[in-house]
Amino acid sequence: MAVALKTQEIVLNMGPQHPSTHGVFRMVLTLEGETIVDLKPVYGYLHRGIEKLSEGRSYLQAVPITDRLDYMCAMTNEFAYAVAVEKLAGIKPPERAEYIRVIMAEFTRILNHMMAIGFLFNDLGAYFTPVLYAFRAREHILDLFEWASGSRMMPNYIRPGGVAGDLPEGFIPQAKKLVAHLWKFADELDTFLSENEIFLQRARGVGVLPPEVAIAYGVTGPVLRASGVKYDVRRAEPYSVYDRFDFEIPTLPNGDVYDRYMLRLLEWKQSLRILEQALDQIPDGPVSEKVPRRLRPPKGEVYGRIEAPKGELGFYLVSDGSDKPYRFKIRPTSFVNLGVLREITIGHKVADVVIILGSIDITMGEVDR
Amino acid sequence: MTDLENILPYLGELIARWLRGFLPSWLVDMIMMAIVGLLIILLMVIVVMALTLLERKILGRLQDRLGPNRVGPYGLIQPVADVLKLLIKEDIIPEKADRLLHFLAPVIIVVPAFMVWAVIPFGKKLVAADLNIAVLYVIALGSVTSIAILMAGWGSGNKYALLGGFRAVAQLFSYEVPMALAILSVVIAAGSMSLQKIVEAQSPLPFVLLQPVAFLIYFICGVAETNRSPFDLPEAESEIIAGYHIEYSGVKWAMFFLAEYINTFAVSAMVVTLFLGGWKGPILPSYLWFFIKVAIVVYVFFWLRATFPRLRIDQLLNFSWKFLVPLAMANLLVTGLVTKLGLVYGIKVTAYWVGNILVGGLGLYLLGRFTPKKALA
Amino acid sequence: MFGLGLLKGLYTTIKHGIMTYFKGYKHPFPKRYFTGRPAPRLEPEGVGLFTLQYPEEKYSMFPRFRGALMHLRDPQTGQPKCVACGACALACPHGVIEVVAEGKGKERKLVDYLYNLGRCVFCRLCVEACPYGAIEMSHEYELATYENKMVLHLEDLLKIGDRSNVTESGWAWK
Repeated sequence: MAVALKTQEIVLNMGPQHPSTHGVFRMVLTLEGETIVDLKPVYGYLHRGIEKLSEGRSYLQAVPITDRLDYMCAMTNEFAYAVAVEKLAGIKPPERAEYIRVIMAEFTRILNHMMAIGFLFNDLGAYFTPVLYAFRAREHILDLFEWASGSRMMPNYIRPGGVAGDLPEGFIPQAKKLVAHLWKFADELDTFLSENEIFLQRARGVGVLPPEVAIAYGVTGPVLRASGVKYDVRRAEPYSVYDRFDFEIPTLPNGDVYDRYMLRLLEWKQSLRILEQALDQIPDGPVSEKVPRRLRPPKGEVYGRIEAPKGELGFYLVSDGSDKPYRFKIRPTSFVNLGVLREITIGHKVADVVIILGSIDITMGEVDR
Repeated sequence: MTDLENILPYLGELIARWLRGFLPSWLVDMIMMAIVGLLIILLMVIVVMALTLLERKILGRLQDRLGPNRVGPYGLIQPVADVLKLLIKEDIIPEKADRLLHFLAPVIIVVPAFMVWAVIPFGKKLVAADLNIAVLYVIALGSVTSIAILMAGWGSGNKYALLGGFRAVAQLFSYEVPMALAILSVVIAAGSMSLQKIVEAQSPLPFVLLQPVAFLIYFICGVAETNRSPFDLPEAESEIIAGYHIEYSGVKWAMFFLAEYINTFAVSAMVVTLFLGGWKGPILPSYLWFFIKVAIVVYVFFWLRATFPRLRIDQLLNFSWKFLVPLAMANLLVTGLVTKLGLVYGIKVTAYWVGNILVGGLGLYLLGRFTPKKALA
Repeated sequence: MFGLGLLKGLYTTIKHGIMTYFKGYKHPFPKRYFTGRPAPRLEPEGVGLFTLQYPEEKYSMFPRFRGALMHLRDPQTGQPKCVACGACALACPHGVIEVVAEGKGKERKLVDYLYNLGRCVFCRLCVEACPYGAIEMSHEYELATYENKMVLHLEDLLKIGDRSNVTESGWAWK
């Protein structure tokens, strides 16, 4: 006769105020001992009504609002919006503007990956050391952004039609110096973190995402590529001048936390390759098309998407001929990526939930809009 | 230099002689004991204050930043500010808490931390109580901490605290066993359980050179016993936000804090006494050498905290039971064998080294085989 | 060998720790900060001390930095350049600016200019919209206040403009 041990499940609330949930995100966990049986995510604590706000403003006035979607990587949000509006209105920005946009987007990608790696290790318990090393390098990139656009975090720089203004004097040599430093910094982080046995123990085999499940949930970005699916919007539907650069799309087979970390490091190095080529090839010329301040695109609808650092960011715009968008729908990367959280967390321990969430890399600004 | 060496025993003798002039002898003994106890408590409190500031400044320097430097010049008055803040905070007891347990837990955790210091030799003649079972005394006091943590976890009436309490108790008693086994090999090599005699047995070579495997095992277990990173899961800030002392505020929290730092200092002192030669050293007085060595070991503790992520609880327990305990037993076997053979000193050292390299090498090889690798696994 | 990754991690940390004494912001011992000039922005080096002792040490901002709004004066006459056309108020995404004017056509005069500092997001769309180059973003970022003073009037904005040594709107974007 087999006697089963009778245990009781407890419901633990990793509430909106928590040091590691990357913003105001609430998870209601049902635990049995330390193993997770069920997870219910609750979000909406940061909902600001961005879509509705943008529908009442003209296409140019919506640019500062799209900055605030994924506030950590603001330049790529503006880039996605500019791509969508240009598709709708049939504008083609000049060459120099395209190159400047690519440079800013790739710097933003590096920024985001540095921060994602740093905060993954913060969740693991390395007491802020990788965070501070990554933030130190981020400071240099943010200085470049401030030099070019006027503000570190909400640049308001990439507009439909081109870029707000030309790069200042001395930007390109300084950017080249920074790229050389970032190669060395990527190697330093690799030495520091990649072979750490404690990290390997914590991260290998944890939060495995099979590729079929990833495709079924619509996951994109580093999370998808770490599960073995080679899909990148820059190659699938090339936008801007990405078809002129020579870079690879790395993929890794396992799909656990370690692979997502390693993939971000590899993508960082590929971004540096693109940056070196772009900084060499950038042509002279005007930086913006003449776009009226109150743009009136023709009636129609468009879905414009780019490869943001966290995944595929898309804007679905419906225009009714007036100067304000009729429908401004955002396809947020973090929101869709977050759907897979319950699937990959069940069966793991409490200590793993936090690192799995950290490896998916969300920003609540995008999840809640 | 012998004058500086004997300054404290000399002062003690003067005071005792003066007191014997007008008090009965048994009272004088009790007063001397009380004075020594008070001195140790005072020293410990000052050391803890210094350690809190030093930890933050050293952690800051390792992270390319300054630590606290606003409160006084170079932040030297920061501990005073911290203590004042803790003293004037409101003492909150949650509604669902078990009052007696909630009240007693900080007391029970702090008293053994102070009691350990009674047997540790600070210098050549500076031991408060030279017990001849000092090692057993220290190990026993280390286990009382687990009761206090469970009391704190259960008595707080909070699920986070309960989780922290469970994890802490599991961790503490599973790291007691390899710790005791590692100390046992030192005791066998030195021939006595008294800490003063162990220090004296370490000439000409300190035991770290004779027993490196035991040194590493004891170091790792010491870090785990004091709940420091990378074994600080019970108080994991990023997951269960402070674990078992989540519901404590004010002086009671200060007691937990105090106990953790005194334990850190005590474990470092034990490492120095058992393996690094205690107070032995040329030229300088013995207590200065003791403090220098302990400072270096404490710096290594802070360095570990800054660098490593933490292990999960089941990985922690696996590491202890499946790796450290067999390794410690193998080491004990080798040490016992070599000591029993009764060889000449030079050959004994070589035999120890051969044994340790065999045991350590085998352990590392096996560990490398069974842990996940960086490449496609 | 097991443990090599751990040792590499320890080496990285201690290298950073030791190099903070030799590189980065060097403070003149025994003082803990240097005063009198803006702090230099460091070259990307990766090691060295990286702490700035605010408020004794401050950076000077890049030219295009967007701080609070300010009004510019005409260098010959000393009057504000603003003609109360209202283009800035129309361009602002959040309704931060309110232009109070009287008169019509050529007699239009600016009476007051209300700028809601609590609502501004410093996006600079107003400055880009102004056809007369009368406003610009200053470099003021220390805007916290104890009073509940969210709305700035024309004289406050002119004062910021006089403090800033800027004469031409869009000077950094040439």
